[in-house]
Amino acid sequence: MFWSIIAANKRRTIILIAVMGLLLILAGYVIGMAFVDVYRPWAGIAGLIVALCIWCVMLMVSLYGADRMFLGITRAQEVRREHYPQLYNVVEEMVIAGSLPGMPRIFVVEDPAPNAFAMGRSPQKSCVCVTAGLLALCNRDELQGVIAHEISHIMNRDILFMTVAATMLGSILLVSDAFVHSLRYSGGPRFTSRARRTGGARSGAALLLVSLLLAIVGPVIARILYFAISRKREYLADATGARLTRYPEGLASALEKMQKNPLPLQAAPSAIAPFYIVNPYRMHLGGSPFATHPPLAERIRILRMMSHGAGYVDYTKAYITVTGSRRTLIPLKDMGEGADVPVRESCAPEQAETVLPTESRRRAGDIIRAMNNFAFITCACGLRLKLPPEFREDRITCPRCGRSHLVPEVNEKTISAVLTGAAVLTAPFSKPVCTGSSTAGQRKEATVQVADVVPGRWQTIQCSTCDHAYEISPRFRGKKLKCSGCGATIRIRMIPEDQTAPLPD
Amino acid sequence: MSAGTLVFIVIAGILVMVVLYAVVAYNSLVGLRNQIKNAWSQIEVQLKRRHDLIPNLVETAKGYMAHERQTFETVTQARSRASSARTISEVSQAETELTGALSQFMVVVENYPELKANQNFLAIQEELTSTENKIAFSRQAYNDQVLFLNNKVQMFPSNIIAGMFNFRLAEFFELEDQSEKAVPRVSFS
Repeated sequence: MFWSIIAANKRRTIILIAVMGLLLILAGYVIGMAFVDVYRPWAGIAGLIVALCIWCVMLMVSLYGADRMFLGITRAQEVRREHYPQLYNVVEEMVIAGSLPGMPRIFVVEDPAPNAFAMGRSPQKSCVCVTAGLLALCNRDELQGVIAHEISHIMNRDILFMTVAATMLGSILLVSDAFVHSLRYSGGPRFTSRARRTGGARSGAALLLVSLLLAIVGPVIARILYFAISRKREYLADATGARLTRYPEGLASALEKMQKNPLPLQAAPSAIAPFYIVNPYRMHLGGSPFATHPPLAERIRILRMMSHGAGYVDYTKAYITVTGSRRTLIPLKDMGEGADVPVRESCAPEQAETVLPTESRRRAGDIIRAMNNFAFITCACGLRLKLPPEFREDRITCPRCGRSHLVPEVNEKTISAVLTGAAVLTAPFSKPVCTGSSTAGQRKEATVQVADVVPGRWQTIQCSTCDHAYEISPRFRGKKLKCSGCGATIRIRMIPEDQTAPLPD
Repeated sequence: MSAGTLVFIVIAGILVMVVLYAVVAYNSLVGLRNQIKNAWSQIEVQLKRRHDLIPNLVETAKGYMAHERQTFETVTQARSRASSARTISEVSQAETELTGALSQFMVVVENYPELKANQNFLAIQEELTSTENKIAFSRQAYNDQVLFLNNKVQMFPSNIIAGMFNFRLAEFFELEDQSEKAVPRVSFS
């Protein structure tokens, strides 16, 4: 069961965080002592309290304001279901698989670097964010793998852990920095001269030395601890993600694509690097004690090794084989998985693979545009017009074929229709559109209309009574068309191109 | 402090511990049972959604594959059987049939490239894929929780509490066994 694993892993993380906390307290205490010349117990306590207060303030600020701030910095935009049904569906699937209490909010960052992150202090209040680059690069299975990893961070409460650890690291850095600076500008001379007068020179010097040592070594140790926690949580999120999807290959191939596209993110504050699925700056830096993420190649190899099952046991076995580490990620006895967890098959792979990279990049761009309330018109000649909300005219001429289109109104319904491509031409226009050079269509009586068509190309004609639009194929040879909307007969007149009036520009 | 009071304190302490354990165990059992109910309702929601999607799918596909009446009928019949099923085992049976019919339907669709390019159909297909996934994932979550409850009901010492308050073993929701056996029909005609 998930929570027993979470509990087992929580214990280890809590131990690491406790060590960091101890370091913070120690640093505060010793540095507080060093600020006064002779031994005074209250000085150490005061230093300790100051250090803890700094940590508390930082923690509160980052717990209650960080996600909003962060989403603001990255200029992430919230996606609703109608913007991108597939992304929404994938998140919903993972929420169901992990039995989370509610849907997280979904955001998209307009950035070509493929990446994703999760934020939020509790599973009830969380959000998942993906970049447009990721959407452009990944097929459904890969997207599912990435989302599963992020949902696992939410389930395992990694965001809370990492926030606590990050603020501890931050306050240790701040305290020791303040100390070193105060020594440089004023502390040193005052310290020694007064201590000499009171006769405690030796103990004072020793204390100074110890506190200096702590101020220099402390941050280094704290950093190593912090990155160790971060790497551990990444592995665990990979394991949980594989278990949620029952398809480790999805995440593996998504990570591989990210490895091949090592673009740095444009707006990513370094403090939140551990929240991303791959390190947003130094993608290939791995294996050092100062890396936030385990090496990508290693994560991919572990996931690829899990061919027999997708459970925690399988992940741990693969982890031991790949890293050669004797310390297991999750204590095996705590896993308590009754049955083995079989790997499932990929869903709809061949369909996704046929999409060209340019096509998928365009699709990702369209999602962003739809979120920014662009209007979309697909012209019958195949050109797709994308109009920004600032475009105020009510009709537009297709630059390729010269057809005139009404600018549709943008609302939630039209967005979904446009993105799935469903209602491109069946959507009713508010006024009948004069197609080509035909004027006859509008003058005729209601039951019989005439539409002029140039043979040999695609054309749109519209029933003037009910506004139903029809696509006329270049191979259409008929003389009449019965409108399925109102039953009116439309006579089709074939007019060769040179006889028609010039197209409107 | 006499030996009597000491013994009394120890016994009282043990009693308090036992009562505390009983309360915690009972609450976790109730919590699990509710979670299972919740997970089951999630499965029902998704199954219902699949039933609702099928008429749309058939309607969209009909125009393109007029000669596949047999396939349409199989899907429609499987759907109506599945929506009238009541008990857990009945539902599993009928839903397995429906999954089989749908996967056969998708195999047939492969022969109709125009249908596969239809945007409306693609949108329905995405919804259907997602619904199938959601069914699978909610079943997965449900079965995980059933396993956990059953372990608690059978294992010592929580089985005592479970017996006292009449907690029953929950039923797993199985689908895959039969669907794996059913090979998609491939016709060469």
